[in-house]
Amino acid sequence: MDPRRAETGKNSDQIQSGHVYHLALDIGGSLAKLVYFTKNDEHIVGNEKKKSPLKASGISNSSRNSPVLNGRLNFKKFETSKINDCLEFINSMKLHLGGCQQPESPGSQTITIKATGGGAYKYADLFKEKFGISLDKEDEMDCLVAGANFLLETIHQEAFTYMGNQKQFVWIDKNDLYPYLLVNIGSGVGMIKVEGDGKFERVSGTSIGGGTFWGLGKLLTKCKSFDELLDLSYRGNNRAVDMLVGDIYGGMDYSKIGLSSTTIASSFGRAISENKERDDYKPEDIARSLLRMISNNIGQISYLTALRFGLKRIFFGGFFIRRHPFTMDTLSVAVNFWSKGEAKAMFLQHEGFLGAVGAFMSSDKHGLKELLANQKVERPPSKLSFSLDQTQVPQQDGELNGDESIECSVYGA
Amino acid sequence: MDPRRAETGKNSDQIQSGHVYHLALDIGGSLAKLVYFTKNDEHIVGSEKKKSPMKASGISNSSRNSPVLNGRLNFKKFETSKINDCLEFINSMKLHLGGCQQPESPGSQTITIKATGGGAYKYADLFKEKFRISLDKEDEMDCLVAGANFLLETIHQEAFTYMGNQKQFVWIDKNDLYPYLLVNIGSGVGMIKVEGDGKFERVSGTSIGGGTFWGLGKLLTKCKSFDELLDLSYRGNNRAVDMLVGDIYGGMDYSKIGLSSTTIASSFGRAISENKERDDYKPEDIARSLLRMISNNIGQISYLTALRFGLKRIFFGGFFIRRHPFTMDTLSVAVNFWSKGEAKAMFLQHEGFLGAVGAFMSSDKHGLKELLANQKVERPPSKLSFSLDQTQVPQQDGELNGDESIECSVYGA
Repeated sequence: MDPRRAETGKNSDQIQSGHVYHLALDIGGSLAKLVYFTKNDEHIVGNEKKKSPLKASGISNSSRNSPVLNGRLNFKKFETSKINDCLEFINSMKLHLGGCQQPESPGSQTITIKATGGGAYKYADLFKEKFGISLDKEDEMDCLVAGANFLLETIHQEAFTYMGNQKQFVWIDKNDLYPYLLVNIGSGVGMIKVEGDGKFERVSGTSIGGGTFWGLGKLLTKCKSFDELLDLSYRGNNRAVDMLVGDIYGGMDYSKIGLSSTTIASSFGRAISENKERDDYKPEDIARSLLRMISNNIGQISYLTALRFGLKRIFFGGFFIRRHPFTMDTLSVAVNFWSKGEAKAMFLQHEGFLGAVGAFMSSDKHGLKELLANQKVERPPSKLSFSLDQTQVPQQDGELNGDESIECSVYGA
Repeated sequence: MDPRRAETGKNSDQIQSGHVYHLALDIGGSLAKLVYFTKNDEHIVGSEKKKSPMKASGISNSSRNSPVLNGRLNFKKFETSKINDCLEFINSMKLHLGGCQQPESPGSQTITIKATGGGAYKYADLFKEKFRISLDKEDEMDCLVAGANFLLETIHQEAFTYMGNQKQFVWIDKNDLYPYLLVNIGSGVGMIKVEGDGKFERVSGTSIGGGTFWGLGKLLTKCKSFDELLDLSYRGNNRAVDMLVGDIYGGMDYSKIGLSSTTIASSFGRAISENKERDDYKPEDIARSLLRMISNNIGQISYLTALRFGLKRIFFGGFFIRRHPFTMDTLSVAVNFWSKGEAKAMFLQHEGFLGAVGAFMSSDKHGLKELLANQKVERPPSKLSFSLDQTQVPQQDGELNGDESIECSVYGA
């Protein structure tokens, strides 16, 4: 465990300036992601009353390196098209005012929240007009990389491989983490070569991403949501829609170049020759073919990009994957097979929250003074840092859908 | 002009064996391509009666290196789903029997025709049962490469670039042709590294090809044909369907990483958030977005593949392009820009007929004796070769839709 070091700001009188450190946003093309810190209920100043058996709670002498503050790091997402729901949530939780224990400050106080993604620009006015929230914009790539690095270095069961239906966590040695390729699959796909903390370059990308799957899927089926589309794909058979090598070669392989008869020669190619209308095709078959087509393509471009820069590890982030076995399997096969085992596909527990975590971490540097606002501290710690309780990360097989939280401790130095 | 050298077989008594040299087929997943030779009408043995002002016709003394035979190389295509139309055509033209001048041989004579593509296997029985045609199968990759090499070396206005709406023919120096990347965009896409005559390796491919465009297009619009879909795309505006960077960033660029506001962030991503049904979208907008998505993706993977092997020239073949300016422009931009001018995208006049030409050429080696069947030759030439009359290649702006033909001469040695 390697808690991050951070400077504190001034004392609690500074609350009037209204900078919120325990909430951050990543507003993308399709989804708005929230990361926020909530304090634990039992919280005694200067005492060592234990909340959880694993650590001391309360304010302690900073030199003893015990947590100054315990709580939870919470994750939540909304559809960007329903950004108002997100705003309402923030308001109802009074998150922007520093949590439920803060008195509601009268007057026209401006609250500042860290935000990244395009929506930090697009919705800046909306946030200001509705709740007087000023969005402190952080660069999207900076946050993605910072979030990924933090999670990979701090949570020891963050990264995992998925091969042959087997999920296997990967222990990341902090000193062996770099360089790697981060493939963030959101509405679109960004591919970032990461060489160190804050040292990265966006080297590629593709417009065929999660938004394409959702958008084409919506047009081709009657699905109302991304998850509905994913569920459908479980039951589908892509052979009804795709043109396979065997369809062209009369049932045979094209073995001379190593293409088996079940290899997809042309996605959706079968629809050409059949006298069927769109509604004659089962939506689950369409969904499966779409998912295969897009996943395989991302895997291929990721592999070619990693190869180009000699990168052996590819971490897939973003909310496209959602622990869907078919998706992870397709990506893993595309990467591992074509690279002849040289490159490895890995997935992240908090796949879609990288940017939000990165934005959250960026406020860490300013001292997290809000968190100590209501605490009477004899000697305010000179530094604060975050650490996530590794033993309590929930082992979820399902998607991290935002109702997740992680035990979290703030340390003084 | 470098006429190919070929061995003759035996004398005209051999016609009974029924091998047809002047017709070849490439039957792919979506299209069946035909290449066939027809003799010119006026054709006198032993005389020097001139047909065209530019060359002597008729049989001449082989040592004089004049054409032994003049005629035309014809190109035609059918949909593979309507393979019977193709068979009927072959039969009506009596092509399989060596042209109209051949007497129809009675009895159970088996005719053998060179054929490549998967359909050479898939439809072998059909050809045999219907017209007793035995398909002499040639490997698809062999034929693609042989056809491309032959056309590039022989026709001096075969290859051209297309940049900024400007078409420019490229003179190919035979000695400088190799190595290159051949990207054949048919139903699916094959990428072949070509290093010499008969020296090549299939290094990559993608299932997102012409069949995907046609199949998805058919499902999303009411188009009945590939050409209809292409025509629609001329009039479309992809912004109605795609999610652009500006849509995510509230009208701005994401200049830090060089993405302008009009860059497509997510193909079809706009369909996610809008409360529109499939039929609320204009088919032309869908067609254009599909075309851009698929062309851009092919361009990207082609570029990454060429880069991987240090190849500077990428020749695009197959019937996906059809001289469509938007398609050629998208491919050219994807290749030339991302490679910073290092790699060049080039197109071929006979884009979709590479395999058929290659199969056709493969029979060249057997002597083309059929062509001389009705000619009385004093001293049969020991070698025969083909050459295409370069000065008479039609300069078509439209697609080479199969009603094309090229003046063609057969030389003795």
